[in-house]
Amino acid sequence: MKPTTYKYLIFLFCVTAIVAFTTTWQIKEAQAAGAKPTLDPSDPKSSLYLDSRGKLAGTGSSSKPVSEAFKAGQGWHPQALQSEGLPKDRYGLVDWAKLVNDGSIEPLHSLDEDEDELPPLDVDVVIHSKGDYVKDVKYPHQIHTYWLSCENCHPAIFEMGAGANPISMVEIAEGKWCGRCHGKVAFPLADCNRCHTIPKKAKR
Amino acid sequence: MILAISPKPAAAAGLGEMTFDNKIESMKKAGVGPVIFSHTTHENTIKCAECHPDIFIEKRGANDMSMKKNMDGEHCGACHDSTVAFPMYQCSKCHTQVGAAK
Ligand code: HEC
Ligand code: HEC
Ligand code: HEC
Ligand code: HEC
Ligand code: HEC
Ligand code: HEC
Repeated sequence: MKPTTYKYLIFLFCVTAIVAFTTTWQIKEAQAAGAKPTLDPSDPKSSLYLDSRGKLAGTGSSSKPVSEAFKAGQGWHPQALQSEGLPKDRYGLVDWAKLVNDGSIEPLHSLDEDEDELPPLDVDVVIHSKGDYVKDVKYPHQIHTYWLSCENCHPAIFEMGAGANPISMVEIAEGKWCGRCHGKVAFPLADCNRCHTIPKKAKR
Repeated sequence: MILAISPKPAAAAGLGEMTFDNKIESMKKAGVGPVIFSHTTHENTIKCAECHPDIFIEKRGANDMSMKKNMDGEHCGACHDSTVAFPMYQCSKCHTQVGAAK
């Protein structure tokens, strides 16, 4: 590096140090003056959301419904992820399925290098919804087996056979079947038509 | 404009609670009962014009409502999608007898 570059770097360092010092000092000052700290790290309602650079991205409870958190400008994911141009669903959550399908990310299949990787199972199962109008559900093994192994679902959650399980939407909403994951670790149940994709034939 | 000067007939008319059960056969198959809709609660907090006539025709039974249409963002689904009001997977907030028959 040229000596000028060094000088520049040292200058930058000094500026950063001064800024950091002044900020800390100001906060200390404010606290000493009895000003109430607006953020209490021990209070879950006052969680801090940091971005990848460690800067404050937002505050608030993470237990609130997505919509409320999102309205308040927060997200489940760090702000950094939100701003990276990742595809989002209509609730502003990162659409992981789209990322995989578009080939944008390629996560390691396992932390254990020696573990054999099974290719995703490309079998769709149509699950008929009861009633005369609501669209049927196409259950895609592909995206699920990309993230999960068979044992995550078979046989603990689902018997291995089309129509072999007494699934119902009422129970899904109660957190059973697909509701074991959707609304928790996978896209939310409120996004009805992401599962209900096959229109009933005769009636509408 | 017309709405702004007209009195609130419904509030006085006291539409109260309405029961929707046109699609009762389909509801039974899904294990849910008739829908109870409190017109009063909604009209107290929401302007008539938010719903009439764009989302609902102002006449009992004139709207061919179904869960499918709700899920496509029509009728109740225009609001109950977890952005404006509670999401639609909370079946028992609208339907009676949820989980009765399967
Ligand atoms: C996220 C949960 C999940 C995972 C993971 C999963 N399955 Fe399934 N599987 C299902 C569901 C749901 C059905 C449909 C059950 C029904 O219709 O009642 C099903 C059905 C099946 C069927 C029956 C298909 C038919 O047409 O009869 C087979 C075979 C099967 N799975 C094999 C596998 C294998 C092999 C793996 C691992 C590579 C796997 N599944 C991983 C949820 C899963
Ligand atoms: C063991 C956890 C688990 C269970 C059980 C589960 N899913 Fe999923 N599902 C996931 C994950 C993880 C993803 C991918 C991440 C995401 O899209 O949020 C996913 C994605 C999907 C997608 C893909 C969405 C898209 O945009 O491509 C559909 C459709 C889906 N699930 C339907 C179902 C249905 C229907 C059931 C029940 C029969 C079910 N899932 C049960 C975890 C699960
Ligand atoms: C994770 C996937 C998934 C999502 C999201 C989802 N459903 Fe379902 N739904 C299903 C499955 C699977 C069935 C079929 C159950 C069965 O075998 O009867 C179903 C069936 C239904 C039925 C028919 C009744 C029944 O028990 O079969 C209704 C009505 C319904 N869903 C409404 C909704 C509404 C409203 C939403 C959105 C708030 C929604 N669903 C979101 C998976 C989903
Ligand atoms: C949240 C949406 C919503 C709002 C807001 C609302 N309504 Fe309604 N209204 C409905 C629904 C749903 C029906 C029933 C339609 C049906 O049966 O198909 C209805 C029915 C009616 C009817 C027909 C009653 C009958 O017996 O035929 C009248 C009149 C009416 N509304 C007037 C009003 C007035 C006046 C306001 C404002 C004070 C208002 N509504 C606000 C949803 C709403
Ligand atoms: C114009 C928007 C809008 C439409 C359309 C609408 N709702 Fe609502 N609804 C709301 C709002 C806003 C609330 C209050 C906030 C909440 O509970 O999430 C509410 C609350 C409710 C409640 C709880 C009321 C209470 O007393 O606690 C029920 C039940 C309900 N709606 C049923 C329905 C049904 C059934 C329909 C369709 C016939 C419908 N809503 C259409 C906006 C709407
Ligand atoms: C916001 C209110 C609301 C919620 C929440 C709701 N429904 Fe409905 N549902 C309705 C209305 C309104 C109708 C139409 C009633 C009519 O006119 O007969 C209906 C009709 C139905 C029907 C018969 C028509 C059809 O499309 O098959 C079924 C089945 C049904 N609902 C199941 C469910 C299930 C399962 C859930 C929970 C996942 C649910 N509903 C949640 C308001 C709601």
